[in-house]
Amino acid sequence: MQIGTKLSEQLARYLDLSVSEVKLTASNMANIDTPGYQTKGFDFAAEMGEALAGIDKGRIAPLHVHEVDGLVTRPDGNNVSMDREGLHLAEAQLRYRTGIALLRIENQRVMDAIHADK
Amino acid sequence: MNLFGLMETSGSAMQAERIRAEVVAANMANAESTRTEAGVPYRRHHVVFASDDPVADFGEAMHLGLGRSSALQQSEPAGGVRIAEVVEDSAPPLKRYDPGHPDAGPDGYVEYPDINPLTEMVDLMGATRAYGLNSSAVQAEKGMITSALDIVRG
Repeated sequence: MQIGTKLSEQLARYLDLSVSEVKLTASNMANIDTPGYQTKGFDFAAEMGEALAGIDKGRIAPLHVHEVDGLVTRPDGNNVSMDREGLHLAEAQLRYRTGIALLRIENQRVMDAIHADK
Repeated sequence: MNLFGLMETSGSAMQAERIRAEVVAANMANAESTRTEAGVPYRRHHVVFASDDPVADFGEAMHLGLGRSSALQQSEPAGGVRIAEVVEDSAPPLKRYDPGHPDAGPDGYVEYPDINPLTEMVDLMGATRAYGLNSSAVQAEKGMITSALDIVRG
């Protein structure tokens, strides 16, 4: 018997990706003064699409991390932008909280079904 | 994916930035030091940052301990930052004419370290800002972990 629903699976992938995004952002922030460091990121929508497609096959798609272009490189070869990273961190955090809130609702729904006889 | 790994990334940066601030403080403190253990005037130090590979954290150790390889974690990008080395500045010392000084050379000039308080202050400000940036990332990560715990609390 399966208690987890498809939506909760999808939400799990969504949360995983949000954590990956926070992790990349944190790692970019950590290297804000590292000479030659290039900002890293990934395409959230594309990765999410791939992750959703991977649910039925029961596998976790690997993350495609690439160097972000279009940023201004400083003389030491570093192109981390504090504003971009701050914005991304806030965004990823909100995504994560949304995912958590939805997951709680979904779990409550399953709980309601379990207690439907009362 | 490990939520706590995020804190290690930001933590490594906070540690590195603190060392940077310490080095700057040492530079400012020794701006007038004409003697060191080596017998030469103090030389300005600065830190070299290098991005670090993901550290073997608790989660990974647990996976290894359970005989499971963590394919997900292996595909992850580099984690935090570390201080690769603390190097001495190669700039020649400044010479000031002061024949009465015990460290004055035969020509009456004393060698002082080439330390510019302005440069040091700017460096210190950069370290403070980066420290604050990473500590707010830690705050954000703490909030995320707390909200994840809220699922269980119901």
